[in-house]
Amino acid sequence: MPIHLFSIRTGILPFIISGLLLVPAISTAASNPPDFSGAWTTYRGNPGAAGGPSRFMGGELNLVPAAEQARQDFISVTEGTNHGAGNSCVGGGMPGSMLGSGGYPMEILQRPEQLFVIYEAHNEIRRLYIDDEAQNPDDFFAERNGYSSAHWEGDRLIVETTRLKTQVDSRYPHSNQATIREEYYFDESLTDGTRVLAADMTMTDPLWLEEPLVTTKRWQELSDYHVLTYECTEPVWLDEMEVLYEEAGLEMIQE
Amino acid sequence: MKNYLVTIIATIFASSLSTIAIAHHSAAQFDFGNTVLVTGKVEEVRFANPHMRLILEVTDDARGTRDIEFEGHSRNNMRRQGLMPDMFTVEDTVTIRIAPMRNGNDGGYVTALRTPDGEEVGRVTAAD
Repeated sequence: MPIHLFSIRTGILPFIISGLLLVPAISTAASNPPDFSGAWTTYRGNPGAAGGPSRFMGGELNLVPAAEQARQDFISVTEGTNHGAGNSCVGGGMPGSMLGSGGYPMEILQRPEQLFVIYEAHNEIRRLYIDDEAQNPDDFFAERNGYSSAHWEGDRLIVETTRLKTQVDSRYPHSNQATIREEYYFDESLTDGTRVLAADMTMTDPLWLEEPLVTTKRWQELSDYHVLTYECTEPVWLDEMEVLYEEAGLEMIQE
Repeated sequence: MKNYLVTIIATIFASSLSTIAIAHHSAAQFDFGNTVLVTGKVEEVRFANPHMRLILEVTDDARGTRDIEFEGHSRNNMRRQGLMPDMFTVEDTVTIRIAPMRNGNDGGYVTALRTPDGEEVGRVTAAD
């Protein structure tokens, strides 16, 4: 029996030692994660490279018939008109904000407990709550960008988004039961050293999707770039003011 | 009243930013396959997001003098193409490049403009 015990110990010992060695390595990665802060634009590839990669790779949206009908209904009432979420200053919502955002740049500001993603278009902001900063998503109202809880796995930020609203006015229609998983990481830099950020995304929707939408989106960093604010709603208010003043016979003093 | 020329130049030129226009609403009413240059006096201008609005007083032989309303790229995109505040104002004469209406009506989608001082936002001369 002692021999048996000894053999067990010697068999386990290497795993224990390697485990002890690994713990600090994992902790280091988690406590000192990569910094994704910066201004980013859709990946264009190396300068002068022939035939750049597509905006994102893969990703086929297979809607169930009822969802497809819902999408067609939306198209039928908006096609050929000026009506659209963007024209009403409404952001795309997930996953449209992350996958497209109208071709505008995005900025990431990173704190240990939270990562802010600011899409220039429509000033759309996502807050990715990291670790204990995240609360129970069920305690919050559904939004177009949902509620995002995140954690680090080594050098990768894993983001789980729930509490989404049903959206037919999106390039990626989904029900309010959709969930989105993103995995952010630094990909291979361009030849001139420009950093490349990538995110593998999977949208699962038991009600509207025949199968999950799986794709990868890449961005490249913009150096010395000035991300702008996106004032959009003021003109609507100014038009309202103008009507009020006209009806009152008063001169509107505001430009 | 001063006459303003409307110069129509059809080209097979599609603005690279037309996709951004499409992102906000359907752009089906605009013919991005053609370029039309319009010169007129600024009656009203609003550089805003998601789209700029510009009203020009335009005169041509076919339809005489009238005010025409145009929309165009977002303020942010126009700024990135070189637009600066106070480049021009009401009463100034400007030339704009537009994607015209498919149905032939007045109006269109502004993709570039030239100020009274000859400064250009976007590529007006590319179609000249």
